[in-house]
Amino acid sequence: MGSSTKKKNEKKKGDFQKTKLKVGKTRPTNTNATDTSFAAKSIVLKQQNLGESGRDATTLFNHNLSLLSSKNETQRRDALQYLTAACISFGVANLPQSPGAIIAKAQSLILDGNSDVRTQLLKLLKVLPTTDLGSLDQILLYARAGMAHLSNDIKLFALDIVDWLLVSSPETLMACPGGWIKMLRTFQNLLVWQGEAVNGVVTHGKWSATRSTSNKLGSSKLLVHQLNTLTMFLTAGLTPPPIDPLAEVKRAALVFPLLETQCHLLPAKSEPFGYLNLFGAVRDVESEVYADADERANIFNELGMLDIFKAGAREAKKEAGEVGRAASGLEKALRLAEVG
Amino acid sequence: MKRKVGALEKVDADLPNLQHKIKVDPISYQEDFVNQYGLYTSIHELFLTSPTTTDDTGLVRLRDLIDFISHTADCYPKIAGSFPNDLIKLLQLHHATLDPELRDKIVGSLVLLRKKDMIDSNTLLNTLWPLLVSTPSKSLRALLYQKIVSDLRNSNSKTTNHKLNRSMQTTCYNLIASDPASPKGIWAVKLTRELWKRQVWSDAKAVSIMEIAALSQEAKVVTGGVRFFLGGDQEREEAADEESDQEEKNISMGKLRHQAGINKKTAKRDNDLRAAAKKVKRNEKKKGAPHPLNFSALHLLHDPQGFAEKLFQQHLQPSQPKVRLNLEQKLFVLQLVSRLVGLHKLTLIPLYSYFLKFLTPRQPSVTSFLASLAQATHNLVPPDVLEPLVQKIANEFVSEAAAAQVASAGLNGIREVCVRQPLAMNETLLQDLVQYRKSKDKGVQMAARGLLSLYREVGAEMLRKRDRGRDAAMKVRSGEMDGARRFGHVEEGGIEGLELLEKWKEEQGQEGSEDEAAGWDNWDARSDSSESSGGWVNVESEGEEIDISDSEDEREKGAEKKRKMENARVKKAVGKENVDEDDKPAEKTPAKLEASQRATASLEPAAALKREEARVSTLATTRILTPADLAKLQELRQSAAVTASLPSAKRRKLQQDAAAKTAARHADDAVTAVDIEGLAKLSHKATKEEKVRMAKGLGLPNGATEDAGANDHRSTTARRKEKKAAEGKSTTNREKARKKNFLMTLGKAKRKGKRSLGETAKVLKAHVERGKRGGRRGNK
Repeated sequence: MGSSTKKKNEKKKGDFQKTKLKVGKTRPTNTNATDTSFAAKSIVLKQQNLGESGRDATTLFNHNLSLLSSKNETQRRDALQYLTAACISFGVANLPQSPGAIIAKAQSLILDGNSDVRTQLLKLLKVLPTTDLGSLDQILLYARAGMAHLSNDIKLFALDIVDWLLVSSPETLMACPGGWIKMLRTFQNLLVWQGEAVNGVVTHGKWSATRSTSNKLGSSKLLVHQLNTLTMFLTAGLTPPPIDPLAEVKRAALVFPLLETQCHLLPAKSEPFGYLNLFGAVRDVESEVYADADERANIFNELGMLDIFKAGAREAKKEAGEVGRAASGLEKALRLAEVG
Repeated sequence: MKRKVGALEKVDADLPNLQHKIKVDPISYQEDFVNQYGLYTSIHELFLTSPTTTDDTGLVRLRDLIDFISHTADCYPKIAGSFPNDLIKLLQLHHATLDPELRDKIVGSLVLLRKKDMIDSNTLLNTLWPLLVSTPSKSLRALLYQKIVSDLRNSNSKTTNHKLNRSMQTTCYNLIASDPASPKGIWAVKLTRELWKRQVWSDAKAVSIMEIAALSQEAKVVTGGVRFFLGGDQEREEAADEESDQEEKNISMGKLRHQAGINKKTAKRDNDLRAAAKKVKRNEKKKGAPHPLNFSALHLLHDPQGFAEKLFQQHLQPSQPKVRLNLEQKLFVLQLVSRLVGLHKLTLIPLYSYFLKFLTPRQPSVTSFLASLAQATHNLVPPDVLEPLVQKIANEFVSEAAAAQVASAGLNGIREVCVRQPLAMNETLLQDLVQYRKSKDKGVQMAARGLLSLYREVGAEMLRKRDRGRDAAMKVRSGEMDGARRFGHVEEGGIEGLELLEKWKEEQGQEGSEDEAAGWDNWDARSDSSESSGGWVNVESEGEEIDISDSEDEREKGAEKKRKMENARVKKAVGKENVDEDDKPAEKTPAKLEASQRATASLEPAAALKREEARVSTLATTRILTPADLAKLQELRQSAAVTASLPSAKRRKLQQDAAAKTAARHADDAVTAVDIEGLAKLSHKATKEEKVRMAKGLGLPNGATEDAGANDHRSTTARRKEKKAAEGKSTTNREKARKKNFLMTLGKAKRKGKRSLGETAKVLKAHVERGKRGGRRGNK
């Protein structure tokens, strides 16, 4: 009992105790002062909906398209599979998104670490209609990055992509900024054809290792693929497009009373004046657009690449076997440039 | 057939491995590097099209590639020539949107490229500095700031890089000068302060940056600049001390050598030992090197008067200043202004009337105001400006009705003002204030006594007769104090112990010029050729010029004769001076003090005193003191100090100590609120709770920070125990012995009594032996 009264007394005293003020010191804060120094904090929720029920095909298609940038590789692969199946079922004419838009979403998967995702990507690309691929400079950038990649698998895969591009729309490819010289430079780097002294054993007065053309002992798969793709690329770039003599007549007949109609119509493709590069950064020789085959052949000669490539092909031919065969194909392709 | 295989045949996607190989053999791996560089360019291009995306999905990330290339770029400067520019552009254009990790990596890579000399410091700093000022990201700012500081320190580590420093300082200066109202200037302030602390920048240009910062129109920048002047030099000294402490601590050569003798000998250990020896040597050399001349920031100011005036007119005087400073910040500015005024003896009359409205006991931090006022006072401030202030302090603070703390603070403040300008006090007020020494409160008592003892020294005639004390009364009687109280009077300097030297010379009969020449010879042999200023003393050329040929003529004459001659001549000189400046007031050198004491002791007339003075001052004014003389002077001074410590001189010595204490406070040191409050602490009476707490060793309640040692009421044992615990030890052996169970000690005690003579002798011998060895374990 005694202690409780003591406590009570103490408590009572505490209420009426006067706080001491000292000279030169700030006043002690009041007991009922409000602390206003903190700042408001907010909570941000990321929106994500994983349910698939009750949605129509188009939404589902778009949803899967967005899943391509998922962190999970199986999810990416499944999304690609779905898109492939959907493209086939929808048919070429009525895709929910244009092929260009699909490519824009999917192209970053070229550098994907998972081989399943990559193979599935190639399948998707192959089912896409080749008519309206849009601008290809982005996918070309990815393809180039893939070709120079550390991993051999990705290198091979990137070559596959280039092959597909060359097959599906060689003209658009050539019309990309940097579509010609930059690609050739990339090939040159990959094949290690540096021009000066192909047998370059001595550089800067120091000895170094001899250069090996094949990348793995006994296996020249990559080299062969590179040479083949280069051959295709050169052929595509240096062959002038076949001129259809009847095309002009057909078009004139279509819009009979008018002349040169298509010049006055609004262009149907996206970014029609992109090639003028009105707003982009200034391009150098390498990233310039070379419109027709003659021009391409000229710049190819001017930069001295023809000789380098010839020398390289000659060296590669000496290896014989598969590599030699591919190299002789390349030599044939190089002859196109000579003629030009 | 064996052949060297390309890197990537073995390492697939292993950049660190490739990086290592490239460093070992750059030529062989050039192709691999070219490939990687190609990959980098294409990914970089991709990235530029959408810089906001993170690149985490792929196998190879841009971040890794940038890291790899920045590590190896120096091996292929031709191929990777554009790499640094790429990075700079990327950072400059997209720093706000880049992924934080990538952004930090780019910054780190740029610094790495600087280390590898791919870019120069100027480029790096020109890239990083604008980012630091403009970026919204806090983490990036911290990183950039750290990198900038370390780069500047590195480039100044071997020799001072004047060019870089100048350009950076100009950038800092312009940042503040171009837009005084923007908060960005804080970075210039921060950088300058840091580099000042590290002694990288220690020139007037750095000070001018701070000067303009203090005059800017942003509260943070202003306080940054002002605080630099108030604390920057102290900070620098502390940093220097810390550094030297760290260096001294770590290596003891003997121990290392001993260990090397014991441990297995390997090449690595040999190298370690050699490195340690080199470090020790370096440290020793550093210790031997002359202390670098560090002028304090306050002394490097270009125009202190203008600066102080501007500070006052911009921040303090106007009722609606451009920058709104709170009380604390205002106090900082006030402290700086008053410091400048006190240190450089500036004249800033409006400052004193500004103080007037703040000098009330209810004003928050009034002790700081009092301290600032004291600081702003010096002997060239007109007394009639100070008088109202002193009066006001006396009226507001010092009265019977005021609390004891308040009164002691007020008295202390008045004393600090009067120490610097004794003329600020009038007689009635002083006599009134001195009465407070009879106060019951200890703090007030002490403060009043302080004031009293001050005026006993500087103006005893203002005190009542019975307050003057013995010494002061004698001085007043002998008329020594007459001339001291005059506005604008400046005391002459003197050389301590000079009269001792002269007396000694006299005794030795050594005044000829031969000896003088010998002294110089001696000096030549001892001194370094580089430091010529070491042995010199500036001779006051006020009286007359030195005539060397004169002394040569008198070579043959006896010492006694010569002294007379000189005395005569000096008397003449003194006479001349007296004509010039009527009745020169008494000097207060220690020499004079002792002379005067001698005089008063024998109660000689004042004329004799004058003569003595004149004799003393001849030595310094008639000849150049040789280094030999100076060495002797030092010796004599020391021996005099020894005799002074004898019991007969004890009282005098105490007085001198007190005087030395005040003198030891350098003119550069600031007066702080603590000085004013000091005695107020005595007025505080501890309550019972506080006493109990202190007895328990818990310290003062609610965070009142006072010296813990002073208020420790615990027993010696408790304190010792705590000390041991703090050192991570338990109890002393003595304590263990004391606490040992009584029954356990019985056996030994019994045994001890029954020991034979031989045994006892053995034990005693062992005890002596142990003492010689220095303990049981032998303190070798």
